[in-house]
Amino acid sequence: MKKLMMAATALAGFAAPALAQDAVRLQLQWVTQAQFAGYYAALDQGFYTEEGLDVTILPGGPDIAPPQVLAGGGADVMLNWMPSALAAREGGLPVVNIAQPFARSGLMLTCWKDTGITGPQDFRGRTIGVWFFGNEYPFLSWMSQEGIPTEGGPDGVTVLKQGFNVDPLIQRQADCISTMTYNEYGQVLDAGISPDELVTFKYEDMGVATLEDGMYVLEANLADPAFADRMVRFVRASMRGWEWAGANPEATAQIIIDYDETGAQTLAHQVFMMGEIAKLTAGSDGTLDEAAYQRTVDTLLAGGSDPVISAAPVGAWTHAITDAALAQ
Amino acid sequence: MIVLAPALVVWLSLWAANAILTGGGWDRHPAVRLAVPLIFGATILLVWEMAVHLLAVPSVILPPPSAIAAKFLASTSVLWGDFVQTILKGALSGLAIGCALGLVVAVLVDRFDFLRRGLLPVAGFMAALPIVGTAPILVMWFGFGWESKAAVVVLMVFFPMLVNTVAGLADTTAMQRDLMRTFGAGYWQTLFKLRLPAAVPFLFNRLKIASTLAMIGAIVAEFFGSPTQGIGFRISASNGQLALDMVWAAILVGALAGSVFYGLIGLVERWLTFWHPSQRQ
Amino acid sequence: MKGTVGPVLLVLAAILAFWYVACVPMNAREVLTQAERGGAVLIPPSARERIDAPLLPLLWQNSAHLDQSWSQLRPRLPSPHQVMVEIWDSTVTEEVFSHRGIVQSGEWSNRSLIYHTGVTLSATVLGFLIGAALGVALAVGIVHNRAMDLSVMPWAIVSQTIPIVAIAPMVIVVLNSVGVQGLLPKAAISAYLSFFPVVVGMVKGLRTPDAMQMDQMRTWNAPGTAVLWKLRLPSSMPYLFASLKIAIAAALVGTIVGELPVQRGGLGARMLAGSYYGQTAQIWAALFAAAMLAATLVWVIAMLERRMLRRMGAAG
Repeated sequence: MKKLMMAATALAGFAAPALAQDAVRLQLQWVTQAQFAGYYAALDQGFYTEEGLDVTILPGGPDIAPPQVLAGGGADVMLNWMPSALAAREGGLPVVNIAQPFARSGLMLTCWKDTGITGPQDFRGRTIGVWFFGNEYPFLSWMSQEGIPTEGGPDGVTVLKQGFNVDPLIQRQADCISTMTYNEYGQVLDAGISPDELVTFKYEDMGVATLEDGMYVLEANLADPAFADRMVRFVRASMRGWEWAGANPEATAQIIIDYDETGAQTLAHQVFMMGEIAKLTAGSDGTLDEAAYQRTVDTLLAGGSDPVISAAPVGAWTHAITDAALAQ
Repeated sequence: MIVLAPALVVWLSLWAANAILTGGGWDRHPAVRLAVPLIFGATILLVWEMAVHLLAVPSVILPPPSAIAAKFLASTSVLWGDFVQTILKGALSGLAIGCALGLVVAVLVDRFDFLRRGLLPVAGFMAALPIVGTAPILVMWFGFGWESKAAVVVLMVFFPMLVNTVAGLADTTAMQRDLMRTFGAGYWQTLFKLRLPAAVPFLFNRLKIASTLAMIGAIVAEFFGSPTQGIGFRISASNGQLALDMVWAAILVGALAGSVFYGLIGLVERWLTFWHPSQRQ
Repeated sequence: MKGTVGPVLLVLAAILAFWYVACVPMNAREVLTQAERGGAVLIPPSARERIDAPLLPLLWQNSAHLDQSWSQLRPRLPSPHQVMVEIWDSTVTEEVFSHRGIVQSGEWSNRSLIYHTGVTLSATVLGFLIGAALGVALAVGIVHNRAMDLSVMPWAIVSQTIPIVAIAPMVIVVLNSVGVQGLLPKAAISAYLSFFPVVVGMVKGLRTPDAMQMDQMRTWNAPGTAVLWKLRLPSSMPYLFASLKIAIAAALVGTIVGELPVQRGGLGARMLAGSYYGQTAQIWAALFAAAMLAATLVWVIAMLERRMLRRMGAAG
């Protein structure tokens, strides 16, 4: 099915008059799933081809750091969470945000209600599962603001490097785990646990949310007008893809299943994920909201003794691409 | 490639130095035997350092050895904690348990011929399996702490040790076994005085390979879940934070630990099996 | 071999029986929690109290509610028939009945174990061939060149202590950044793990001809290449094949480890994906497939060995 679609796309490409296909490689920050619905929808529905782009979507994985791939020239544009991108920028890799489809954060902590946890200060002395690989920054920042040390002990939290499943919670190896509203929380419910048995803390509600999936490119590349033009077309087609995905959740879930190379995804879970993702992208046309950006930077800087970034970033984002993309 | 010319010059000249050292008939001298591999290693490091600078490789892809050394020296306390967690608690305990179990079961298999015919083929099959695939399952069963890492190591080490120990126990000639019989020795005496000592060279050969497997097992198991300590954790988390110099510093710890361990086992082997032909200089 | 079939079957049957029994204590806590949600009254009644309760009394007091131990959706230990069903579903059912299977679409479905086994197999074979060739070449160099002997061998040993499995993701990223993608990075890691046994085995093997045989070659005024080709290499065949068996198992491990970070198909990716979504039976099914693959590959080498040695007159 996928080969047929790709062959059809290629043929359409040949048929399009005098439109050379510019190559763009997008590095996802995780495996193929509805979190990236907009891009797969745009690919499948031919929005990229209509813009004259030949897009290759590179799935991520547990040990793939998109900034590294970008630095190595393995991709032209990457998806990344803003804390990770800003940290990379400060660490010497000048990445620039060109679009922000995700207006809201889906990160939350899910705890067992019978642990008696009612608020962040109850985390002291507890074991909490946290993802790494760039996803630990919001949590560390939050704990720093609350004044809770993360090295363990009765007065701090013991952090577990959570793998990417929900077993630590189900088997009670951790009192709380990090979950995304659109993925792991659904898996916890699928495991037969009812919401009454859980207490959740959404980072948005706690005021410590940071911006999540955004599109980033290398600053040096952005100076090249041909590259910038490719990005404008890419962002335009991608946002069309997000609109289409939001309007057609079931069809999008099926597209994701078709493109999934591991064959491990299930349709039901992807439909759930698409529904939740739509809540995070709703209302965003891809333009980065400056106020939200500032909130993210303030959260990261307020990290007390161990801030994620030490200084406010300069030139970390641009509206140039989204302005041009939406102008048409 | 022209830009790499200085690196090539360095490489070729050090290679020539090595060739001179070994060609001149001085290679029987212990100092030369030590110098040659050291020169080879130094060559690799020098060429690496020069290549990174000459080709302007970004440090988030590959840092130069100088940066790695600096990071290593600056983070000894963190790396020591990782070393204790992964090597001492995870790999070593797993190695000890796996080898002990392998030895015990090997004696049982040797004693009961039925087990030899039934269990040994199965064990040989299990010894060839990619045990790393069991790491996520074992983390699920034993939790995030060092216990699951030790469990992976036990699995990786047990089957090869079993197969090789049984082979070693059988490696006595008929004349030697007859001799024991003329002394009126029972099964257990024969075991302890003839067959176990005869098996020891096999054991140590396998133990050296098992020690490297143990380290790999412990580190890979950490990828699937760990507390915020351990060599595997450090490599993975630092990679995610784009701190590549820390990644390589952790790898250096692992390589050092593995080499030291290999050497230690070699020393113990020489002490215990001084009588074996392979130990003659 | 004759006397082994019966005992092996008996041992396997014992393992299977032990496995079925072990499902009960392994899955007990989740089974009881499920029963509690279904309204059953257990001793002790709440999940929180059961965490710390000792296992055997727990099983004894609640034995009436343990019947779901072998059909859990997210088991800690899937029962053998659950694994068998998963293997069947991922191979036959997927290929024959699914719209992406080979019967209906003409190519292997990306949800089937057959496809993933093929992905792993191709990288393993490629890596093994590269590693074996490299190992033989290095061994020949070590035996003939004193400088290489003293300098390369210690570092070959050290290379095996560097946890390549830990830097596999970086290796793949570095190779991707120079444009090498897909099969080759995984094959590179396989080759790294498989070259060392071949080097060690071949060095030993190439040095087996004793002084008398070497003298014989000298009396015939044989040039170095002839000595290598006609004496050293043939004598090293048994050692070569023994180390090839180890090397191919190592190559498989390397491929699986190389698939873990990249998640683009293959048995390693499948195992990890199963772990993410809590599909325990998927992990076990992929593990079985990997075991079958390993056994098949080693068996192929053993067949080749028997053929080769029979042609050389070295074995019956």
